[in-house]
Amino acid sequence: MTVCSALLSHYRRHPLQLLALALMIVLATMLWTGVSHLTDHARASLAQSEQAIAGQQQLVREDGQAVSVQDFAYLRRQGLCVMPWLEVQRPPPEGRVIGVDPFASACFGSDAPGQARVDALNGEPFLDIAEAKAMVRQGSNGDLSLLVPVDVEADAVPADYRLKDFSMGPATGELGESFLLNLDALGVLVLLITALLVRSVYQLGLVQRRESFTLLRRFGVPATRVQVLLLIEMVALTSVWVIPGIWLGRLLAEILGGGFGQVLESLFDAPLYAVDGGGFVLPALVMVTVVLLACFADKRLLRRLPWLSGRPSVVWFGVPVLGLGLAMVAWPFTLGWLFVGIALVFVAVGLLTPRVLSYVAQWGAEGAGAITLWQRRELAVLFRRLALPVVALQFAVAMVLAIQALVTTFEDTFERWLGQRLEAEFYVEVPEQSAAVDGVRYLAGLSGVGDWHLVQRGKTHVVPEMAGDDAATSVEVDLFSISPIGPLVTGWTLLDAIPDAWEKLATGQGVMVNEQLARRQGYQPGETIGFTLGEQSLALPVVGVYADYGRPDGEILVAGQILPETFNTRFQSLSLNPGTLAMAEIEQGLAAVWNTDQLTVRDNGSIRSLASGVFDQTFLITRAITVLTLVLAGTSLLIMGWVFFTTRAWYYRLLFVWGLSPREVAGQLRWLAMFLTGAVAVAALPLGVWLTWALVSRINPLAFGWSLPMAVYPGFWLEMLVLCLVIGLAISVLMRRQLGAGVPAPAMANVAGGGER
Amino acid sequence: MVASLLTARDLNKQFRSGNQPVSVFRNLSLQLDRGESLALVGRSGSGKSTLLNILCGLEKPDTGSVQVLDEVFEGGTDRQTEARWANLRRQQIGVVFQEANLMPALSLLDNVRLRARLAGQNEDDCRDWLERLGIGELAGRYPDQVSGGQRQRAALAMVFAMKPALILADEPTGSLDRHTAEDVTGQLFDLQARHGCGLILATHDAELATRCSHHLDLGHLPET
Ligand SMILES: Nc1ncnc2c1ncn2[C@@H]1O[C@H](COP(=O)(O)OP(=O)(O)OP(=O)(O)O)[C@@H](O)[C@H]1O
Ligand SMILES: [Mg+2]
Repeated sequence: MTVCSALLSHYRRHPLQLLALALMIVLATMLWTGVSHLTDHARASLAQSEQAIAGQQQLVREDGQAVSVQDFAYLRRQGLCVMPWLEVQRPPPEGRVIGVDPFASACFGSDAPGQARVDALNGEPFLDIAEAKAMVRQGSNGDLSLLVPVDVEADAVPADYRLKDFSMGPATGELGESFLLNLDALGVLVLLITALLVRSVYQLGLVQRRESFTLLRRFGVPATRVQVLLLIEMVALTSVWVIPGIWLGRLLAEILGGGFGQVLESLFDAPLYAVDGGGFVLPALVMVTVVLLACFADKRLLRRLPWLSGRPSVVWFGVPVLGLGLAMVAWPFTLGWLFVGIALVFVAVGLLTPRVLSYVAQWGAEGAGAITLWQRRELAVLFRRLALPVVALQFAVAMVLAIQALVTTFEDTFERWLGQRLEAEFYVEVPEQSAAVDGVRYLAGLSGVGDWHLVQRGKTHVVPEMAGDDAATSVEVDLFSISPIGPLVTGWTLLDAIPDAWEKLATGQGVMVNEQLARRQGYQPGETIGFTLGEQSLALPVVGVYADYGRPDGEILVAGQILPETFNTRFQSLSLNPGTLAMAEIEQGLAAVWNTDQLTVRDNGSIRSLASGVFDQTFLITRAITVLTLVLAGTSLLIMGWVFFTTRAWYYRLLFVWGLSPREVAGQLRWLAMFLTGAVAVAALPLGVWLTWALVSRINPLAFGWSLPMAVYPGFWLEMLVLCLVIGLAISVLMRRQLGAGVPAPAMANVAGGGER
Repeated sequence: MVASLLTARDLNKQFRSGNQPVSVFRNLSLQLDRGESLALVGRSGSGKSTLLNILCGLEKPDTGSVQVLDEVFEGGTDRQTEARWANLRRQQIGVVFQEANLMPALSLLDNVRLRARLAGQNEDDCRDWLERLGIGELAGRYPDQVSGGQRQRAALAMVFAMKPALILADEPTGSLDRHTAEDVTGQLFDLQARHGCGLILATHDAELATRCSHHLDLGHLPET
């Protein structure tokens, strides 16, 4: 029998273990591929959309009709450089693709939108316009725009057409990035859990094969040879199982991707373009490397890590590192500094947790009875010996706690944001040629109508310092005017205000500013600010700061009555609740006073429910991924716990020999295992809360300039605790079966040295 | 009639090796009184350990009965039977294996204390037992910090601290050198005689066997 067949025969005798190993590799690969695929995909889409919308302009028809191929032909005949841009919405996971005409874009020179891709026309997301047209004919939604170079002037445009900025939606802002940051963190975590997971199964195999190895060594096979063969065995196994894992990961990304695309698209206005799938090589390489590192790195590297050897120096090393990390996060200078601080805190917590738990387990046990002392000591050994999976589960739980809090807070914020923007049930645009005042007069005279107000938007300049009157220091911000100030707005969340703020605003004795502007300019309620309205200059006190939920632009809110006639209103609309009247009736009335038959009316209720639906989907995705990660982390502790308990089976049997009944022994095991995992959950809690705080109160303001309110969810903490206890219960059940299966040989334990402690 | 310490009647035990039943012993009977010692000898695989396990309830015979003090066991693996066996092992039967008799996470002294406590004995004289076995100064050390012989002495201290009626020792000196083995067994016989408990000793060592008052040769390898 060769050494090879001796090694392989193990799996022939333990097919279930081979299956478990394969399953772990497949699951871990799937999860990691899925998450990284999603984030790559989303990030690439964001980058492309930003690149694509950079400073373009388009031609639109004066009559408001959509442009067509005839328009394109006409404009080209007029000698204008026009390029067709056909966006086609494909069903998920493909996302949005764009048909362009490489010949038509030639006159753009090197500035042509999406030029790099157009040259190759490799189909993703840019493809030839003919193909895009074919998709539209097959029933996909298409949207044609006609782009012109940025240097085309307004007077070069033929009559019936005008220039308009071209963008595929508002910039994604940092909300999208912040969301992706979360998923990235998750990806790293999954990789870590993966490593621990594979390691645990591998160790299980080693324990079971310990005797075969001793035999091989006795037969004169050098230990290094066995090592090399084991290495080859793992590489072979991983390579085989990584392939279906990657395939399943793609599938996962596709299933979740539909929802994910929708989320990104609706939430952050980031269209999710089709991006090519990426090869199998990179994920396969990453996974094989991770597996090999997990299984074999400890031979040299991990042995030197203090947490495995458990020397007291860990504390002297860990405590200052923890202090340094906490201080860096508390007083961050830059984002990079902040991330280093977070990493340091995690390293220190990873080093300290097993020792602290081990110490706490023994604390006060000296005076207790002999059995309690045994329990506590045994628990302390478990914490030290299972340091790796214990820390992994702690990290996983902490991460899940933080992400859950962040997503829930996010949802809550979004809800309130929706509430602020969509307070009224209906929203009616004032047609461009019509006078808003006619509509206002009509509504004022209408009995039975609910609350309503007129919104007028424009631009204004604020002068930050009253003393500095030169225009150079003035800042352009959005102006937001409402009249009358009524119940539709007075329910808004004010972050800071002077008494009777809404009254003062309504009577024109003050203005309100949004959070972003207040933060940027350091405005306080009571402070007087100077600003312009058309030709008029005004100085009014700030009476309140309203929450803007992440809106990146500065904005000031005034009562409509202080707007002068000369003010350049860019956009006007009515927000209204129909009250006891039918909306159709009001619509007719407004259409009549404005003398139009094309009234743009938006039903806020349906938008609200659509938006909420999208958020439910975000929730589902984050939940699905975090739960899968937790399950993996739990399995890792379960398997490694079981491996370790197996090496100690003999000692637990000693309890039985010493006269504890099988039920009592099972009770002891249950106590040990559940205390172990329960303590992990408890240790994860402060880390999770701290991480939430770091994300919400440190990363967000530093990276994005605004902060979410921090909320905690004790109900979810309880769920995590229960989950951890269930894992502990599962370990003890497995162990009980193992003990019930027969008399373990003392050789199973490392008796020669008196046992591990 | 005064009940003997231990009586076993017509014990039969078979194992399956593949599909073949392998009989380890047939119709085996034995009796032991207080103060007596019995040496179990026989080739490796002849069933010494199996018999010891049956005599303390860790394994079940296929047929036959075992009586320890006034507890009678005739088959049955129900919870109550298990509880009766557990109770006997806790207070009356001290078992010593060839190795790994100590909890690794406890010091030698705490091991002895734990065993005494389980048996309902006073924890106060635990240190005395270690001293009597010559390892008093090692009381605070952990099992992995002492030698194999010292660990076996500690194991004997644990058994004596529980003040058992019966001691079952399965090659207690099997992994020790000759000199240490003689030392340890010397102490075992000494204390057994002084406290008048029964002793059953499974051993390969003929010389050791001669020191026992009774002998039982389980003979050759079990027959198919
Ligand atoms: N769980 C088991 N399943 C099958 N056969 C077993 C089992 N336990 C013991 N045997 C068999 O029963 C016989 C007796 O085993 P036992 O361990 O009692 O021998 P022993 O006399 O103690 O040997 P040694 O001197 O080597 O310790 C052996 O042939 C062994 O193969
Ligand atoms: Mg034996």
